[in-house]
Amino acid sequence: MFKCCLLTVVTSVWTGALWADTTDESSVSATIDVEAAEAIFRKSCRACHGNKAQGASSYPALADLEPAYIATQLERYRAGEKIGPNSILMISHAKRLSDEDIANISVYVATAFD
Amino acid sequence: MSGFTTHSKLSVIASLLAATAISSLPLLAQSGMNTTSLTHEVVLDGLDNPWDMAFLDDGTMLFTEKCKGLSVRMPDGTVNALYGVAETAGYAANGADLFCEGQAGMMGVAFDPDFANNRGIYVYSTSNMSDPHTNRLMRFTVSDDFASVSDRTDIIDDVPYKMAASDHPFGGPGAHNGGRVRFSADGALWLTTGDTHNGEVPQSPTMMGSKVIRIDTDGNAHADNTPPEGFDARTYTYGHRNVQGIAFHPVTGQAITAEHGPWHSDEITILENGGNAGWDPRPNMAGRADCPDNYCGYSPNQEEGMNRYERAAFMPMTDFDTYPDAMPPVWNNNGWSQGMSSAAFLDGDAWGEWNGAMVVGIMGIGFGGTPIGQRLDVIHFNEDVTDVEDVTEMTLPMESGRFRSVVMGPDGSLYTSIDEGTIYKLTPGG
Repeated sequence: MFKCCLLTVVTSVWTGALWADTTDESSVSATIDVEAAEAIFRKSCRACHGNKAQGASSYPALADLEPAYIATQLERYRAGEKIGPNSILMISHAKRLSDEDIANISVYVATAFD
Repeated sequence: MSGFTTHSKLSVIASLLAATAISSLPLLAQSGMNTTSLTHEVVLDGLDNPWDMAFLDDGTMLFTEKCKGLSVRMPDGTVNALYGVAETAGYAANGADLFCEGQAGMMGVAFDPDFANNRGIYVYSTSNMSDPHTNRLMRFTVSDDFASVSDRTDIIDDVPYKMAASDHPFGGPGAHNGGRVRFSADGALWLTTGDTHNGEVPQSPTMMGSKVIRIDTDGNAHADNTPPEGFDARTYTYGHRNVQGIAFHPVTGQAITAEHGPWHSDEITILENGGNAGWDPRPNMAGRADCPDNYCGYSPNQEEGMNRYERAAFMPMTDFDTYPDAMPPVWNNNGWSQGMSSAAFLDGDAWGEWNGAMVVGIMGIGFGGTPIGQRLDVIHFNEDVTDVEDVTEMTLPMESGRFRSVVMGPDGSLYTSIDEGTIYKLTPGG
């Protein structure tokens, strides 16, 4: 059964680098399909990154990352970009993801295990 | 390092903080046990890649965390942090030269069999004391109150370490260090090592990667080792890929390894003194041409999955054509490579038909058509201990994970650690 959850999120947009002093914060609403995200997580993420996205071995933790950062990296992997030594793993998984999948899984892994 | 470990400099970064709580995934309750019903307890949780454990008869448990260090859990449950990796805070002492990178860091650990008299322990870790860096087997003395260690002596300081990334899958620095440290019943000390993604290492007579090393507690070669002429006398066997499991048959005493395969053929091998495990990933031999960065270990297709038997034909885990006398594996995980890691023999009547069988921990992530392999398998040898008779997958009473270490506890339970950060105790019955 298709199930959606409405997540109220706060978007903090930096106009410079990550470490910039000034921020412009605004509240937005986003909807993710938790059930779909969980399915992607269990099929494609959990075995390497751990059951709580806490990281395992040389596969890094995801739970403490920002959703936007995760989404950006997944888009780069989906485009076939090699970023690190485990890129072939990430590319093979990411190339099967739609924009909606990336939006769902990015928020899910960063928030589901808080 | 994967791109997720560090933030790159982005012109615009959106930070999404979800306000909705999402419950954690439920633990998988399972029923319908094979042979033996198991119960489980969480011994420790929230650890950083727990790599190995070792026990005293009273339940005192040493454990290593790959990037943090060595600790001891006392029988009353208190934990003392003994020796930290680099500057990790909270440890009684630190090894400033120790570090972790990729698969490397603090790995195997063992108590000296005569610990009651000499307080000796042994820990294998990556170190930057030498350049190029190496993996070292360190001996320590534990204080009477188990609050500290002292007298560090590096009894092995020359196991190769992979310094730089290479053009291979999982090709970051720190790959393939082996890492298990165990004593056999006769008091010999054993260390398993890996090929460091270097094609020259496995068949090298002098580079101590890709070896099973048998030594005394000062690091001297065991007098009964019989490697080929010209080999380092510490060599018991050579030509391995990345051995992370070794256990000794409880009746015959045979050393038996469990080893990661190269996208095919995890192997269990009954070792022969001086034997060659037959791994030789050098380019321009055995019908192969050049390979990326002079290592054919993932060839002929290191970008994506392919038929495991075609892989095995091109780059065999045990190359009998080149080395007809190589030690034959007794099990190859049905041709799959799923990250077979640690090994231990079950001991005690409570294990029923599994008493005396060997357990291996498997960590496989699943890739390119290979099924995820995060499980514990029970390996039954034949009566003569010359072959594998049967393999049974344990039905687990808890969620599975990357089973890095399996160790038999003094209480008759099997202890296992998973990379995700938990040490479990598995007890038959209940």
